[in-house]
Amino acid sequence: MGMFGGAYNTIAFDANKCDGCGDCMTACATAKTGTVDQSRSRIQIVGSADEGFELALCRQCADPKCVTVCPAAALTKNYASGVIDWNADKCVDCLLCTVGCAYAGIALDAGTGHVAKCDTCDGAPACVPACPHDALTYVTTSRIYNEVGDWEDLFAPGLAGCQGCNTELLMRHTLRRVGPDTVLATPPGCVPGMGSVGFNGTTGTKIPVFHPLLTNTAAMLAGVKRQYKRVGRDVTALAIAGDGGASDVGFQSLSGAAERNEQILFMVVDNEGYMNTGMQRSSCTPYGAWTSTTPIGKGPGNIPSQGKTQDAKNLPLIMVNHRCEYVATASTAYMDDLYDKLDKAIQASKRGFAYLHVYSPCTTGWRFPTDQNMEVARKAVETNFVMLWEYNPTDGLHFTRPVDDPLPVTEYLKAMGRFRHLSPDQVSHIQSKVVENLAFVKQMAHREAI
Amino acid sequence: MSASTLEKPSAPAPARQKVMLVEGNEAAALGVALARPDMVAVYPITPQSSLVEHVAKLIADGKMDADIVDAEGEHSVLSVLQGGALAGARTYTATCGPGLAFMFEPYFRTSGMRLPIVMSIVTRDGITPQSVWGGHQDAMTVREVGWVQVYCETVQEVLDTTIMAFKIAEHHDVMLPVNVCLDGNYLSYGTSRVELPNQKDVDAFMGAKDVNWHVALDPLRPMAVDPLTGGSGGKGPSTFVRYRKGQCKGMQNSLRVIEEIHEEWAQRFGRRFAPLVEEYRLDGADYAIMTLGSMTGAAKDAIDEARDAGRKVGLIKIKTFSPFPVEALLKSLNKIQALGVVDRSVGFRWNCGPMYQETMGVLYRLGRHIPSMSFIGGLAGADITVGHFHRVIEATEKLLSNPAPIEPVWLNEKD
Amino acid sequence: MEQTKYLVVGSSHAALEAVTAIRMHDPDGSLTLLTRDPHLPYSPTVLPYVVSGRSAPDAIFLRDEKFFARQKVQLKRGTALKALHAERNAAELADGSEIAYEKILLATGAAPAIPPIPGLDQVSYHVLRTLDDATKLNAAIKNSKQAVVLGAGLVGMHAAENLVKAGASVTIVEMAKQLTDGYFDAIAAGLIEKAFTDNGALILTGSRVVKLAPSATGATLTLENGTTLEADLLLVATGVKPNMEYLAGSRVEHDRGILVSDTMQTSVANVWSAGDCAQAKGFYTDAKIMNAILPDATEQGRIAGMAMAEDPGLKKYPGGVPLNTYHFFGRHAISVGSSKVPEGGEMVTRFDEASGRYLKAIFSADNRLTGIYGVNEFFDGGVMCQLILRRVDLAPVKERFLANPLAVGRELMSKLWR
Repeated sequence: MGMFGGAYNTIAFDANKCDGCGDCMTACATAKTGTVDQSRSRIQIVGSADEGFELALCRQCADPKCVTVCPAAALTKNYASGVIDWNADKCVDCLLCTVGCAYAGIALDAGTGHVAKCDTCDGAPACVPACPHDALTYVTTSRIYNEVGDWEDLFAPGLAGCQGCNTELLMRHTLRRVGPDTVLATPPGCVPGMGSVGFNGTTGTKIPVFHPLLTNTAAMLAGVKRQYKRVGRDVTALAIAGDGGASDVGFQSLSGAAERNEQILFMVVDNEGYMNTGMQRSSCTPYGAWTSTTPIGKGPGNIPSQGKTQDAKNLPLIMVNHRCEYVATASTAYMDDLYDKLDKAIQASKRGFAYLHVYSPCTTGWRFPTDQNMEVARKAVETNFVMLWEYNPTDGLHFTRPVDDPLPVTEYLKAMGRFRHLSPDQVSHIQSKVVENLAFVKQMAHREAI
Repeated sequence: MSASTLEKPSAPAPARQKVMLVEGNEAAALGVALARPDMVAVYPITPQSSLVEHVAKLIADGKMDADIVDAEGEHSVLSVLQGGALAGARTYTATCGPGLAFMFEPYFRTSGMRLPIVMSIVTRDGITPQSVWGGHQDAMTVREVGWVQVYCETVQEVLDTTIMAFKIAEHHDVMLPVNVCLDGNYLSYGTSRVELPNQKDVDAFMGAKDVNWHVALDPLRPMAVDPLTGGSGGKGPSTFVRYRKGQCKGMQNSLRVIEEIHEEWAQRFGRRFAPLVEEYRLDGADYAIMTLGSMTGAAKDAIDEARDAGRKVGLIKIKTFSPFPVEALLKSLNKIQALGVVDRSVGFRWNCGPMYQETMGVLYRLGRHIPSMSFIGGLAGADITVGHFHRVIEATEKLLSNPAPIEPVWLNEKD
Repeated sequence: MEQTKYLVVGSSHAALEAVTAIRMHDPDGSLTLLTRDPHLPYSPTVLPYVVSGRSAPDAIFLRDEKFFARQKVQLKRGTALKALHAERNAAELADGSEIAYEKILLATGAAPAIPPIPGLDQVSYHVLRTLDDATKLNAAIKNSKQAVVLGAGLVGMHAAENLVKAGASVTIVEMAKQLTDGYFDAIAAGLIEKAFTDNGALILTGSRVVKLAPSATGATLTLENGTTLEADLLLVATGVKPNMEYLAGSRVEHDRGILVSDTMQTSVANVWSAGDCAQAKGFYTDAKIMNAILPDATEQGRIAGMAMAEDPGLKKYPGGVPLNTYHFFGRHAISVGSSKVPEGGEMVTRFDEASGRYLKAIFSADNRLTGIYGVNEFFDGGVMCQLILRRVDLAPVKERFLANPLAVGRELMSKLWR
């Protein structure tokens, strides 16, 4: 990975969880100086219970100021590990690095008379496991970026998604992975709505892309793929479709293509409704959810309207019953998992129909703050509201991220406004459905594994 | 300009053509095979079913090299073909009646995307009343959708026109989908002697395939197909107009191209079909009847008998219904003083036959008034006999001296 | 004529940062780096450590050949810029050849300023600005018994400490009334002076050499008051002056240095300047100042590079803030910002004579930090600099800050960054 191109594992700090106990500093001092002198720790917790605790720690900057101001070439950015390495032999103790750093990430260690800084303990930072409150975490997902970061982004910059939407992330990552020998179908919905196909002669995509009808995505793609197969060209046929176009009006062509085992990679971005057109209900909308066509009101005959009155259709399970080459559910809160599944789906689509169902929280339609998308996606999984699993005809169905100790579903429901109105009865209905769905999928996993 | 650029190269004499006895649906299938499509998508529906069965068998027997997609419905049938065409495939399907109705969403789109897909409509009446028999109601219902639509009179014409349809559709000045309409029951199941062109001659006639030069889904030529177009601002209005106007231009160009290709066909294969409008014994006629499709055979018999009886009647047959052959029809209408138009379907809005309604527009262009009337017959598989046409001739003759009735005549009303 | 899109003249911090900034935005435009030094790039700041022997002369290079190859930079070493012909976008080199450029950066640094003392040209003396100077001085120190250092700036003080440690008897002669004038205040200077005198050095502040003459061992210096000093090693460290002789005949405006805008552009199109040769605006007033310090050179170089490459992320130079660190006899001194107390502002000092810990903080009338100085007092220079640049309101934490600038500074910055 070259200059400025890499992403690295990093120590993340959640100030809300920190109680200032200082265990991290003791752990660091022990690991690095053999003493328990917290002043010599390379991670420094400052502040107070009243003011909140704060952190001084090397950020391992991509464009590190400490390195640029070092006159002795004693500091270097290690582009393999991401760590800024300090070379004791070259250091002249001039302390200019401490002047360069705005984070107090490199400072004088009075015990040695030299500067000292975090080196992440070669990828196993002592401070992180020492934290009793999970305020420190070692984030290791950089491998995904390092692997695909240099691959061409096949969408133009500036797609016009809603603020906080995860679909653009999903689209860009997927296309990077699938590569340019691809024909992309984006039926009407958020994906073309943000400009991927384009407007009046301009386009947001660098590969062949088209608007199928809402109804015929799988069929059109089948035609494209078959012709390339006929002439001996290896072209991936990819759909990125919404749940409405897949589970409702587009279901027939989807089912038909799956039954014929067309060599298609069909990705459904499930935001549980017709979000692009104003947040109307789809068959994937969950029970109790507000949508613009299942609004809240006092109702006819004083029986209140309290959101959708039916449970969501479980489209991925229906696709399993087509015995597709590959079926999986995924979430952008679990990118490692999503990437594994994307790889498998791409391979499966060379043999037959591959179906990837990605849960996609909608900041606009589900009514939650724009910085909460990943958190909502994570809560869905942590409560088993959404289950992450995969299926292929040989190995059957199995969970890829089983949740041993699920949170109550209310932890998920309260994260967004579309469930704000729920009555206790509705909440218990949803909780019981979560239990039932889990049992059902577990049963399938059990049966398929036999 | 040198002489050679003015003269068409003279076609070599066609190889001896195999003579067969086939039904119209099989003739269509044989024509499709000779045109060598890459992809055929099928979904069965009466009275089209034996057509796609014949195609499937030709492929199964190795007599036709095409990818056959047994789709789960007509909507997907046409959608698959759209994808195939965008990837460069020559494509074919057939449908009728309810299948065409179900297909309507992608059907409308095919002409907008300028995809040269060929589709037979084995015409069937519209439901309800529930019916599985012939009639032009299905094809007439979609006449305003931008497809070229031609109607065949005989089984041989079905075979020959099916091949020509691919060349018309793929002509660079046209680039539009083409419906070859053959009457359900009367042509689909009607068995007749046909001459089967030799594959080599058809290959020479067809020339090189060039399906997606103008719009493609091809990683080697990346483009966005059908981004949102229109709206009230920016480039929207002018862009949308450019596309729609282009469709209309393609339709108008097709009139010339259909004539040229029919002429080339006659040169190469020795069979000459009127490309747009056929006149039958119109010279010296005071009045004429107008027909469409297979009914024309019985109508011609009736004309012959009427002429023998001294009536000054001729016949005008429409082959190319969409685009409506206004100029060609004007030439024919110029020769007569009264007109009776026989439709095999209903125009609900004008209380007459759809072809009659279209013809009234042409009559306005004539610059003089000639009396005319509408006849509706042959609905839902009913036969239009020579006897029915004699009634048509008599009623039309009366227009020369009596006022024209407003109500249409329903030919099978008292059968 | 040789042609290049970007011509960067100089090879120290400003020049290297400019190269990096250009390459961030323009990975392929042709780039030539021209330096009169024959060596790979190094920092003048490291040279005292080469003199002391702490840094090996071959281990101080800031970049290697591979870096320049990877960044597609043509490196021309040992070639000085002789004249700038800005009117035709051409640089004339010492050998008479020319390079045509689209954009040029003058990051030519500074050279020792040699005082006009009668007889100086008759004696042999050292200066310290280049690696070759440093290796010569390093060799000379080992044999010196009696050394004189002219000038008590940081270069002179560093060398003096090395000479003391090498066993020489050292005299420091400084015209100003205190050591490290302009870097540290009188109290800090007193602490520094005490460290030197404790280690046997003789400090003559407020003194001026009026005459030099060769002697048997080296040179005899005569001071203003008539005293004479014998020196077997004489180091002249009386300051520096920008290298800008090549501007003669060009229309590039210059004063004490090359005058630049807040995007490091000179008065002439396609010509930028950064680092020790540039005279840019200060942080505290709009007056253009010489702020020949390393962190400022990197900042200016980066801005110049971004401006040259037309990087849309370019932000204007906030103005130079003085920043110095100084390590002496195991102790350290640090100064950030201005020593001047703004109108209505206040200066707070804390000095513990027993431990030698000294802190001085200066605030504006509205409780913004404008300068902070410390000897043996721990605080993060980088954090303090940010507090100054961002004009962070310290009113709510002022007492805590003065009691513990290290912890409170870190707390404030962590809050700001999160």
